[in-house]
Amino acid sequence: MNAGEWKEKLSAIRDSFSVSIAKKPADNPEALELRFLGRKGELALLLRDLKDIPLEERKPLGALGNTAKQEMEAKLAELKGAAPAAGPAAAPGLDLTLPGTPFPKGSLHPLTHVMNRLAEAFLKLGFTMSDGPLVEDDYHNFEALNFPPFHPARDMQDTFYVDAKDAAGKFMLLRTHTSPVQIRSMEKTEPPIRVFHTGRVFRSEAVDASHSFAFHQIEGLYVDKGVSMADLKWTADAFMKDLFGSGVKTRFNPSYFPFVEPGAEVDMSCVFCKTGAGRCPVCKGTGWLELMGAGMVHPNVLKGCKYDPEKWSGFAFGGGIERFAMLLYGISDMRMLYENDLRVLKQVQ
Amino acid sequence: MKILYSWLSDFIENPPAPEDLSAKLCRIGLKVEELHKTGVSFTGVCVGRIEKIDKHPNADKLALVDVNDGRGVMRVVCGAKNIAVGQHIPFAKVGAMLAEGELKKAKIRGVESEGMICSAGELGLEGYDNSGILVLDPGTQLGSDAAALFPKADYVMEVEMLPNQGYCLSHYALARELSVFYGLKLKDASVFQGEARGETVPVEVKAPDLCTRYTALVLKGVKNARTPEWMGARLRAMGSNPKGNILIDGSNYVMYELGQPTHCFDISQLSGPKIIVRRALAGEMMKTLDGQALKLDPGMLVIADSSKPVALAGVMGGAYSAVSDATEAILIESARFNPPTVRQASKTTGIKSESSYRFERGTDPELTLKAARRLAGLILEAASGAKVEQISDVCPVKYQPPVVEVAPAKVNAILGTGIADGEIYACLKAFQPDLRDSKPWKFSVPSYRQDIESVWDVAEEVARYIGYDVIPSVSHMPMLPSTVTPHWTAVSELKTALASLGFSEAYNYDFVSAKELKLCGLAPEAALEVKNPLSLDFQYLRPTLLPGLLKTLRYNLNRGRETVLIFESGTVYSRKEAGKAEDVHCSGLLYGDFPEGGSWKGGAGKADFYALKGVMGRLFSGKGGFRYEKAKKAPSYFQAGMCLEMRLGASSAGYIGKLSREAAAAADLKDDNVFLFEIPLACVAQAGKTEFWQKIVKIKPVSAFPQNWRDLSVVLEEKHEWGELERAFSGVQDLASVRLVDVYKGKNIPAGFRSLSIRFTFSSAEKTLNDAEVGARMTSILDKLSKNFGAKLRA
Repeated sequence: MNAGEWKEKLSAIRDSFSVSIAKKPADNPEALELRFLGRKGELALLLRDLKDIPLEERKPLGALGNTAKQEMEAKLAELKGAAPAAGPAAAPGLDLTLPGTPFPKGSLHPLTHVMNRLAEAFLKLGFTMSDGPLVEDDYHNFEALNFPPFHPARDMQDTFYVDAKDAAGKFMLLRTHTSPVQIRSMEKTEPPIRVFHTGRVFRSEAVDASHSFAFHQIEGLYVDKGVSMADLKWTADAFMKDLFGSGVKTRFNPSYFPFVEPGAEVDMSCVFCKTGAGRCPVCKGTGWLELMGAGMVHPNVLKGCKYDPEKWSGFAFGGGIERFAMLLYGISDMRMLYENDLRVLKQVQ
Repeated sequence: MKILYSWLSDFIENPPAPEDLSAKLCRIGLKVEELHKTGVSFTGVCVGRIEKIDKHPNADKLALVDVNDGRGVMRVVCGAKNIAVGQHIPFAKVGAMLAEGELKKAKIRGVESEGMICSAGELGLEGYDNSGILVLDPGTQLGSDAAALFPKADYVMEVEMLPNQGYCLSHYALARELSVFYGLKLKDASVFQGEARGETVPVEVKAPDLCTRYTALVLKGVKNARTPEWMGARLRAMGSNPKGNILIDGSNYVMYELGQPTHCFDISQLSGPKIIVRRALAGEMMKTLDGQALKLDPGMLVIADSSKPVALAGVMGGAYSAVSDATEAILIESARFNPPTVRQASKTTGIKSESSYRFERGTDPELTLKAARRLAGLILEAASGAKVEQISDVCPVKYQPPVVEVAPAKVNAILGTGIADGEIYACLKAFQPDLRDSKPWKFSVPSYRQDIESVWDVAEEVARYIGYDVIPSVSHMPMLPSTVTPHWTAVSELKTALASLGFSEAYNYDFVSAKELKLCGLAPEAALEVKNPLSLDFQYLRPTLLPGLLKTLRYNLNRGRETVLIFESGTVYSRKEAGKAEDVHCSGLLYGDFPEGGSWKGGAGKADFYALKGVMGRLFSGKGGFRYEKAKKAPSYFQAGMCLEMRLGASSAGYIGKLSREAAAAADLKDDNVFLFEIPLACVAQAGKTEFWQKIVKIKPVSAFPQNWRDLSVVLEEKHEWGELERAFSGVQDLASVRLVDVYKGKNIPAGFRSLSIRFTFSSAEKTLNDAEVGARMTSILDKLSKNFGAKLRA
């Protein structure tokens, strides 16, 4: 094909496009687009023929072809805009935009969601769910956890006592942490043991934005032969990655809880930093969030449960569930979780 | 605890910068929660006086001020509004170092300024009005250094102390930690080095189990000795309020410095004079320094003179022997008391002091003499005529360092690490420089670290020494199967079902008031009482979830909501034998429209008993043996005659019904249409114990033949309940389902009667039932209805 022939062909295509698009009623714009502009459309095939034309002539022809293409596209867009709604017209008198029949949904509490999710993370790591009472005795809440009577560590947990006595004649108390479940689980199970527990705990503290006299904790315990702090670190890391994604890092810092030795605090790299280093309101610019306490089960605790600390070793870790919930739901005042405002609760998906 | 950087630096050679120091402390588990600068560090600023104020020729808002600095008058440009002639002001000359840097010579709007009148901010002062220039006291000396008027620059660190960190409760102790863990060189405090042989006040320890060491120094000639300004400034920075008397302030100072509480007795007030350390006698009384009369008991340790207690050991001194400005001779007490004894006394008397705080956490038994000598030294500096007359160090139980055998393999086994022996050894050596290298190492615990008891404790120190990052993240954990509790399965099923039916889950506190209980018709005496409630609103533990649900209902109605569908699952308590005091309930209520909001098509009904019954039908569908019974003994908060008991097999599955009028009235409702359910979870959890595969209901084959249905309308007396009729249909051949289509009373129906329209559906597995066969079955049904209930076909 030479340049002249090519030009003629182009003008033929343009004519036939004009005829088609002017038809009343117009042809379907999609069909027209396919016929002329599609990959195997008439114009596309013609443009492909350019390759047989000598280079020096090719350039102006290409420009002509492109102009034609743009014109066609514009006309087609016009036609599409003018096209009536597809399908048959709605039946007269029927407004399909009216709302559908409502099926109102309720909601689970954010703390339930978080607890379920934490439980799931534990279950995946082979931890079995365990349980214990909220009204506890001094032995399980304190003594067996290596808080001797008159030990200052008891100050960490202001305690509510109730008007009922235990077998030793001491007043029962509302458990101040979920750790008594460690003791109750070990008492009824021979090692190895790998359990977790979520539940409510109580501290005699005034309520404010970050404190409550009733709140929730999660607790995990693993005792076996040869368990080390490296296993703990791996588990805490796997746990955090399950909850916050594989990108997070965990870090241990020295800390103290009477029932573990060595003790550690588990920090997670802040996943909420968006504004750049030093400005994040969630981690206060430190890049780290303090989320859990952890450590190797104290030999005194093992002994108390008739586990030989020379033969068995274990780790325990846990944390406050409200803290997780507040981070995840972006709540800054803990009291919001106990107000039960349906405008809030119904937002929980 | 507050730590002053300058004070800490007294004990460290070449101390690192404050930020670095604070990071170092954090890394070894001493969390610095706050680090802030105090005082001033400016130089080249003197006290000046404003002599004259003129307008600036080129600017309305500026003034030209003549300032007299005691030597001459200089002219400066000033923009502050609060200037006035005669004011004493901080005057910075060119070259002064201010908060923002060096003050340079400047021309402001064409006029040269020979210095600057400073605001509080320009001087780096916090907590002052910064809206204009800082106006100084008119009594200040012209030309004197203005920096001398303010505390010197320092940093205050707020360090969080954990209960096991009794060994960190002073400046010296933190310096020691830094020296052990970072190899920084420790400097010692300077103490009184002299000796004294006199014995004016004999010391006798009668309870060596509770007081292992009692050091006493007697000083004479201490009358009216004043606290030096530098000491007062440090105490103020610590948040303590110095009294001006060195005997009191010095004692506090030594405690913050070394961690050892000391106490000064006025010897003239001691009968004997004699010091006896003994248990209190039953019924003995003592008046404290702050005027409280304490009743003592033999569980407490006291310091007594020959006739009476003069101090509650480690907690607080007595008023009787307190020092005053008139005190001439004192006895300095520096002792080691048994921590639980001090704590118990502090708890019993309700007195918490800086002293009891430290004794409870365990003080260093080898520190008593040094602390007493340090205090004596400080007093001697302040009171030129004072003299040490007696140094007694009674030590009935000598400190024997516990020895922990440390095998490096054990440390590595605990930490999961492969730390080289040499590194572990270096750590131990940092604590105990004379440690001998023969394995297993015999680590003798330093006297200040009595919290170290075993190799687990040593492992922690090794991890702190090297850094916790040395612990790898590696698992050797075998697979273990995991299970959930039947209780959790049951709760989750109920919660999910309720949420899908439009109910929202609430979380309420477990504590309720007597008033709330009474409104629910419950006797507070039957509820479990909290012995130390936060307030009377939280005096009892809830025996039912209802008070919380009502609170939630009221809260939401008050915020303009008209429909409230809520539930809660939580623990309820009762006054029973130990260990059996709790149960878990899942309860909820329904108020307003059901389903919520309705539709423009109509169809939203008001919540009523049947709506709630429908919800229960969904919750328990598929649970074998579920049925309703008339409640024999409904809980007091249900309306009489408006309550049904639910049964699951042989056990009760709780109650549904209408809320009692009394409880509804308390919730300030427009009406009393609150419908309530209460499910004790024990019964459901019992069902949850069944293995999942056994719970699955087998699928029955369906008939291949078409089904037939017939409607029947009958009139019968109202006393016959639907439940009775329903039972009568059992056993009718091929009857696949029965559905109540309509209940009608009114026109054409005699009073006391009602009409029921019922649809019966028949289906046979063998064939298509013909008209005659269906008819015969319907006749038998009608026969039953008329025979048993006197029902007649409705005309």
